[in-house]
Amino acid sequence: MGVAALRYAGVSVGYQGTPVLTGVDLELGAGQRLALVGPNGAGKSTLIKSVLGLAPVLGGTAQVLGRDPAAARARTGYVSQTDTLDADFPVSVRQVVTMGRYQRLGWWRPVRGADRRAVTEALERVGLADRAGHRFGTLSGGQRQRVLLARAIVSQPALLLLDEPFNGVDAISQEAIVTVLRDLSAAGTALVLSTHDLTVARDLADLVCLINGRQWAVGTPDETLTAGSLRQTYGRSAIDLSDGRMVLVEP
Amino acid sequence: MIEPFTVPFMGRALAEMALLAVICGPISVFVFVRRLSFVSDALTHTVFPGVVIGFAAAGLDGVFVGALVAGVLTAVVLTLLTRGARLTDDAATAVLLTAMFSVGVVLVSRQSSYTSDLTSFLFGRLLTVTPQQLTETGVLAVVILAGLLVTARALVFRAFDPAGAAAAGFRVGRLDLWLNVLLALVVVAAVRAVGTILVVALLIVPAAAARMVTDRLAVMAGVGTALVFVSGYFGLLLSWTASLHYGISLTSASAVVLLMVLGYLLLLPVRLLRTAGAARTPIREGRVSPHELVG
Repeated sequence: MGVAALRYAGVSVGYQGTPVLTGVDLELGAGQRLALVGPNGAGKSTLIKSVLGLAPVLGGTAQVLGRDPAAARARTGYVSQTDTLDADFPVSVRQVVTMGRYQRLGWWRPVRGADRRAVTEALERVGLADRAGHRFGTLSGGQRQRVLLARAIVSQPALLLLDEPFNGVDAISQEAIVTVLRDLSAAGTALVLSTHDLTVARDLADLVCLINGRQWAVGTPDETLTAGSLRQTYGRSAIDLSDGRMVLVEP
Repeated sequence: MIEPFTVPFMGRALAEMALLAVICGPISVFVFVRRLSFVSDALTHTVFPGVVIGFAAAGLDGVFVGALVAGVLTAVVLTLLTRGARLTDDAATAVLLTAMFSVGVVLVSRQSSYTSDLTSFLFGRLLTVTPQQLTETGVLAVVILAGLLVTARALVFRAFDPAGAAAAGFRVGRLDLWLNVLLALVVVAAVRAVGTILVVALLIVPAAAARMVTDRLAVMAGVGTALVFVSGYFGLLLSWTASLHYGISLTSASAVVLLMVLGYLLLLPVRLLRTAGAARTPIREGRVSPHELVG
């Protein structure tokens, strides 16, 4: 376990030479769970894209599983946001999960028994094996998110990236997703998930990174999810309640 | 029912339609899932000046080369224009479409046989398909189908989830260009037989009709192919019968397209029945409150 899943030192990321996010210093070991917390437009998705080698690193050094981000893609898994997908798309749940094997299969090597078994296992893990033949769009939002999780874990990534995995997800599906994520982490898979849900960040993550245009804080949930750092990160949309708790109001 | 097709030109027309059916079933599935109807429409129109220039320069043989050059060129331009996938690209695509089409009309109006040329470019000459034309369509069919088959997996992934496909290492920009080039080749293959206006129907209607009866992409391709072939067969038969027995001159390509659209309309109730039978629209669940508490 010598190689860190993620090692970012003074990284800035952005598009067309304009940084969206600066000063990112992160170190994530195998099996660790990192939550990226910040308001909308803070750069959470861009940071995740940079880990996948899809958003350019403009400064600093970024290493993913000991390599260049793009070169590590074969060992990273990515869970898309469900609500960006077309619910009317004619594709079955099984087909969606099989897409997770495409990178390994290349352009046209046929899907074999081992692939099919891996797909079934992944669907069993998220508790949707009985839905394999259904059209993806007929499932609920939470179930779709679980299918996308199955797609990401079907090729056993060493690092799993999830972009707002609990948006529009019902309690039962959230529970199922959290269980799978804990199991994966216990088995050594490193996790990075973006969220604006502070409760999720506190419950699930070992490490929290507060970002909004720049990295404001990184550390354990207790160290980072404090009134002071949240106010720094969120500015005026962090409201102090009289009993010492914080409310975040997303614009 | 078979007899008219023993006449050589009718047999060749049917063979041409069969080849186009084999291409258009699968390719229209990608047009459908990528929502490229408007891009296909633009492609067919931008190929038009290429057709005219080719014809003016080298007669009927030049049409193929002219269409090929114009098609591939616009495939590249359209890929660049639609890159951001934002609303303004629609406007840019429309400007390109109308500009190129106008250029084509201006060019064709300089020909002495203006009206008949324009008609044949717009609506095709299905009944005058030559053996050489058939060969060219056959070669293009092989190229297009092979091109689709090799990349089908990546194209489907990209159509369904561009972010996921990119994360899995597929180059989305290149895939888009590739599909647009394949589309341009289909237009080139079909344009002489059915004309620039009707090609777009071949690219859109098969999959749209097939989607009514199935949720599966491969089945959609098959049903689409069958629809084009059946419409081709009966369309040709209809225009043959109309002109032979009733003295009505019915453009065969238009008859084919009309029958295809009729097939689409006939399948429409199937879709309604299927959705009414399933009647299980997903319920949007979840917590959407923007207010989150922290202890």
